[in-house]
Amino acid sequence: MPVKSPFEACIAKPGQGNVVLSLLPPSNPSLTTLTYKYPLKLLTRAPGYVPVSSALSCPVSRPVHLYLLTYGGGLLPGDHIDVSITLEPQTRLVVTTPQGSTKIFKTEPNSSTKGRRPGKLSDKSRQTLDVRVGREAALCYLPDPAVPYKDSRYEQVQTFTIDATTTKDSKRSSLCILDWVTQGRTSRGENWDFHLWRGKNEVWALDESGKKKLLLRDSLILDEEIDEGLLEDGDETLIRNGLIRERTRPHGVVGTLILYGPIYEHLSTFFMDRFTSQPRIGARNWSSSAPAAVESPPNYDSKVTFTAARVRAGFVLVKFGASDSETAKDWLGNILREEGTVINEFGEEALFCL
Amino acid sequence: MTVKTHVSDLEKEISDLEYRLQNAKTRLALASGQEPTEDTYLPLPQDTVPLVPTHALLLLSDSALPLGSFAYSSGLESYLAHNKPLPPRVSPVASFHRFLKLSIASMASTSIPYVLAAYRYPDDLETLDNDMDASTPCVVAQRASIAQGRALIGVWERAFRGTYASGPFLTGPVAARAVKAIEAFSDELKSGVDDPDSLGPKGHFAPLWGIVCLVMGMDARQTAYVFMLNHAKAVLSAAVRASVMGPYQAQAVLASQGLQDLITARIDREWDTPVEDAGQIVPPLDLWVGRHELLYSRIFNS
Repeated sequence: MPVKSPFEACIAKPGQGNVVLSLLPPSNPSLTTLTYKYPLKLLTRAPGYVPVSSALSCPVSRPVHLYLLTYGGGLLPGDHIDVSITLEPQTRLVVTTPQGSTKIFKTEPNSSTKGRRPGKLSDKSRQTLDVRVGREAALCYLPDPAVPYKDSRYEQVQTFTIDATTTKDSKRSSLCILDWVTQGRTSRGENWDFHLWRGKNEVWALDESGKKKLLLRDSLILDEEIDEGLLEDGDETLIRNGLIRERTRPHGVVGTLILYGPIYEHLSTFFMDRFTSQPRIGARNWSSSAPAAVESPPNYDSKVTFTAARVRAGFVLVKFGASDSETAKDWLGNILREEGTVINEFGEEALFCL
Repeated sequence: MTVKTHVSDLEKEISDLEYRLQNAKTRLALASGQEPTEDTYLPLPQDTVPLVPTHALLLLSDSALPLGSFAYSSGLESYLAHNKPLPPRVSPVASFHRFLKLSIASMASTSIPYVLAAYRYPDDLETLDNDMDASTPCVVAQRASIAQGRALIGVWERAFRGTYASGPFLTGPVAARAVKAIEAFSDELKSGVDDPDSLGPKGHFAPLWGIVCLVMGMDARQTAYVFMLNHAKAVLSAAVRASVMGPYQAQAVLASQGLQDLITARIDREWDTPVEDAGQIVPPLDLWVGRHELLYSRIFNS
């Protein structure tokens, strides 16, 4: 597969990466562009998995894998990762994070760069991901959860633009996007102790005239709402207000799965059925003084609180919360394996992070 | 556009100040024992007719405003079911207070930017409605917002338009544009197909609230405050009907300094938030609201 050397014609700024996946005739997926710059690293691989059957009627192309890597497996304050990916029509891309969870680090205030007083908030780290998905192309983005360390500040914006020039349902782009965040390093007793985590996922439709329309925006803001003025005094008690912990209780991990397009149609329906067939809450609890209804036999669904909703334009949005990331991982991995779409269309490796 | 909005804000502020000056003069006259001039029992200056913001304020904050807001508990019912049984030493009222706080914070972060954006840029109503629809991740909340928004349009057309869309109550060119925007939007809404998959106008509550308040001469601050207070009222009313607390207790919460401070603080925080940065700050709330459909028995629509 012709992969351009990342060292030639590299005009990228630090942390920038650019990927273009094209389909060369007759049906040979190929990365026509692949550039990146420190601290970002992009690796690709074509495992040669050929989907046996597909929900699409067009000739099925082999999925290509893209690994998003950062030096040290995470982001330091001030790091800005900016990845732009283009999926040309009929291509398939699997994006995973083989380094495990994306760690959001925080430098000690007193050991940090020049001119920063102790007690000041650390720099934000940022990640922007801009993906354009062509007709009949499919993205499968199932990364590990983000793990924001104590006192870290992070912001990510993931924008997905789909081709809306086609009206035929079966020609639409397909998206599977997972975005989840945990309470931090539980082994170190961290429990939503970071300062800021903002995650925004947007899906835009681009029509013939080049006009964009917002189809979906999923925005989560976990902000300790610290007054910087108070921080100058360096008083620790003012810094810990537990606001994020209070707002996420009782969960240790929260996440969203966005499904769209013909490839994921069956999976979407599967999630919807699973949600609507959940046992009714409070079904047998007739009196307010009686103990709660007997729990149904333990299964994955009972440990994870989730909703699935067919929102609009054919999107299915799954939101979940669980006590820890392992539980959520088991739950999601099991559903995706049981249903089989992801494995059929992209191969077992697409579920690498689950 | 921003400049014009600014001008009308200033005009309102000036007339408000004039009104207060007149008021203070009258009170001074009374206090200093002078014979008050003319009819001082109603110290209303003659030229304030087009601007009686209090009247619109009272109308819009009235719980009898037929929006059907009280059919929704905004997730309270589901929250109570999900947190049953309560851990020992947590009283139902304490648990409710937690919910109220979360609900107000979440409502402010997801909706206030849209209320204020529609107030400031009435021409963008349709885009705001689309973006709000795209940003509401859960169908239960979506239904509640759309039902109330459409009810508000209904009240506007059948009740308020006659007085506020023209004549002395129309407060300026921005308001006139806003009237046109509402009308165009309403036509669009009626001609649109009622298909959940269609991307036509939906009629979400927050942006419509902002624009209707603009036309009725409320200032931006009041618009946001009444929006939040009405939400608090709806949640408290739901609490009374769900037997969490009694009606007097609920009124006490509504009257409390704590609630006022909370609303003010949340509005201050979202005052300059662009709609692109509006978002959920209480993730479990989406889960509770979304799982309302799973409740075995329900007394509310959300």
